[in-house]
Amino acid sequence: MHNSSRLALYHCWVAFAVFLPAVALGAWQMLMRSPLPAPLDDPNAYYASVTLHGTAMAYVITTFFAMGFGYAVTATSLERPLRGVAAAWIGFFICLIGTVMAVLAILSGRASVLYTFYPPLLASSWYYFGAFLLVGGSMIWVVLMIYNMAAWKRDNPGRPVPLAMFAITATALLWAWAASGVIIELVGVLLPRALGLTTQIYAGLARTLFSVTLHAIVYFWLMPAYIAFYTLVPQAAGGRLYSDTMGRLTFIMFLVFSLPVGMHHLFADPEHGAGLKFVQSFLTFFVALPTLLTVFSICASLEIAGRVRGGRGLLGWILVLPWHEPMVLAVALSLVMLGFGGFGGLINMSYAMNSMIHNTSWVTAHFHLIFGGAVVIMYFAVAYEMWPRITGKPLRSKALARWQLWLWFWGMIIATVPWHITGLMGQPRRVAVFDYSDPFVAPMGPLVIISVVGGAILLLSAILLIVVLVRSQFGERHLEAPLRYALAVNPPRTVPASLNGFALWNAIVLVLMLFAYGYPIGQFFFLKSSVPAYEVTHTSAIAAGVR
Amino acid sequence: MMARDQGSFSIDNPWPRIGWGMTAGVIVVAGVIGFGLLSRYQQNGSNLDLWNSICRGLGVTSDSASASEPRPASRSPTQIAWTSGTLARIGAGDPDHGAFVALNCAACHGQGGVSTSTLIPTLAGMDSTVIYKQLDDYRSGNRLWGVMGAMAKSLSPQDSADVAAYFAAQQDGLPAIGSNRIPESGRSLREADPAQRLVFAGDPQRGIPPCSACHGPGGYKLGAPALEGQRAAYIERQLAAFAQGTRENDIFQQMRIVAKQLTQDEMHALAAFYGMPGSGKVAGRVFR
Repeated sequence: MHNSSRLALYHCWVAFAVFLPAVALGAWQMLMRSPLPAPLDDPNAYYASVTLHGTAMAYVITTFFAMGFGYAVTATSLERPLRGVAAAWIGFFICLIGTVMAVLAILSGRASVLYTFYPPLLASSWYYFGAFLLVGGSMIWVVLMIYNMAAWKRDNPGRPVPLAMFAITATALLWAWAASGVIIELVGVLLPRALGLTTQIYAGLARTLFSVTLHAIVYFWLMPAYIAFYTLVPQAAGGRLYSDTMGRLTFIMFLVFSLPVGMHHLFADPEHGAGLKFVQSFLTFFVALPTLLTVFSICASLEIAGRVRGGRGLLGWILVLPWHEPMVLAVALSLVMLGFGGFGGLINMSYAMNSMIHNTSWVTAHFHLIFGGAVVIMYFAVAYEMWPRITGKPLRSKALARWQLWLWFWGMIIATVPWHITGLMGQPRRVAVFDYSDPFVAPMGPLVIISVVGGAILLLSAILLIVVLVRSQFGERHLEAPLRYALAVNPPRTVPASLNGFALWNAIVLVLMLFAYGYPIGQFFFLKSSVPAYEVTHTSAIAAGVR
Repeated sequence: MMARDQGSFSIDNPWPRIGWGMTAGVIVVAGVIGFGLLSRYQQNGSNLDLWNSICRGLGVTSDSASASEPRPASRSPTQIAWTSGTLARIGAGDPDHGAFVALNCAACHGQGGVSTSTLIPTLAGMDSTVIYKQLDDYRSGNRLWGVMGAMAKSLSPQDSADVAAYFAAQQDGLPAIGSNRIPESGRSLREADPAQRLVFAGDPQRGIPPCSACHGPGGYKLGAPALEGQRAAYIERQLAAFAQGTRENDIFQQMRIVAKQLTQDEMHALAAFYGMPGSGKVAGRVFR
């Protein structure tokens, strides 16, 4: 097995090994907050579980999957071995150690912070160190992606960087920009307090720094799915990519527009002025552009594939698409969930409408549809595509894989539609226990029970995923088919320098970030006219032995 | 077009021009709407000029202050400290001149300071330090009640000391404080009667010390009035005023903390316990 293949495989193993228990926790949480009886009926366990579920899903699985996918894409799209394999393994183990530290801190009950880095909630320093190692270790991956792309460009002057490599480098850059917020928050604000070096936390500053990370991180999760949309889906459908340039523009726009927008998570916070919130709300709307462009490109690519396969008429091409391919099925289900979730997101990001659903289960429903649905289902499809190519063992079986994808889709729909409704009814998120005898809360009961059913279906689907992957892993090796990427209808021979690299776009990101965050962060240092510092006085979370 | 475009930053090339142009456009449009239109026309200050609306948009409003908690103005509940100077001035009070000053008081507090109204305290026999302190608190505005502020302001500190000496020497008012200052024995937390329990044992669970530690019978404290024989309705009203914070001239909030935790029934019972028979709504010491 190729060294870069083994790298990709190990990363994916960690991701999916964490995935199943995290789904089980999620299903239990839904039971816990429903009117139904739940085992281990303890609110503290619920909050620890929310932390574990969120940390695993949002930080561990996504980071490991993106890294593994990145290594696979680098080796296969550039058609040469990955450079810096040793550094990649070091990064892998740093991330792994960080994950173990964070998980142990949560399991010991000293890091129930609801997986966000929002003071005055404060966790054990072990949790923060673990998160720091996980994020910091992934920076090695970021450097390797940039290094590999730059080295290839140097060796192939004038040739366009393959779209898949261009996109994964955009992902790495996006992650580096995004992570800067949480890294500064961890090092500058949270760790000093968790270690007992300070007694006060500037909650407003900490929350603002985290908001830098908070929305861009979502696009970091999303990018592997979009890369699959552009480079794997047309190939699996038996067609070609509609436009290579549209793909490049999409990833450039994600890099530019997903960063200066995070303050739409702070619409209800007191430390920022209305004008600043509006500016970031306005910028957030531009994030819809690359998604709309993608929906158009992918539908066009699928239509090309359908017509090549003999489909006729206005919609006849849809019927003849190879729906038995997990990748093709997954993209259709993904786009449906992206549509519903995106609609909810437009409400979230609107400065005025946000107050209607701020911090309600509507928000939970939104990001479960987008991330847990549209993105993760593409992770499954990528795994089904990559696993056989890396191990040389065919998938056992495609039918089971299709079942798994359908179950995931329906589970997510059944879970999240009721959440949207209860969110509009005013049900807060991240709350363990509701008094369903209260006349205000009582009408939410049946809806919450329906969502529990969705949770059970999701758990079943997650088990199926592991069954398919493990069965394939133990199968016979008789497949030699390297990962191939879709060609564009008009493959690019030359590409403008601006669409073949990121110098211009990084400069634009810098300008936009200064515009969007310069004043909001600077005010804490220069004006000091903001919300007062929280004094966090509860007992220090450090273990006695460490002190 | 594409062949020319090899410099990522040269503005002559189309993509940098498109990129920077759109970025500038987005910044200008967002800024104009966010800081101009939105702040100016959507906030309820229709007379904002451009500069002030930009400040609004940035979160800087006229009531923005430094990042500190609002702090109430420093305020002492009383100006009186029991220094030797204060005590010497009170001790040097001239009862004869005090009798002249006390002519102003008789209309309400009764002839010789023996009140005939249930809501007005008897002053005859009250400790001179207590009267002096209350007059001073009325004068400084730390205690507020009806005409007393104006009355106290018309008196000099020397007048206050004189009138205090006069009332302290009057007979037929409050009972004389005995020389035995040891609290009565045989009263404990097991006492069934709530008033007696509070007076002699207090309530440690609520942090309430026994009333008798300062107000008698048995224990007395400088500046705290002896309550036995006082008007019951007056005592009850003072407890309510401390509880509601309308009377605030107790140093360290000692009475406000206690009174806030008393129930209305307890206040009534305590007033009845201390009060002179027939001076409250309930006649006599019903709990005795």
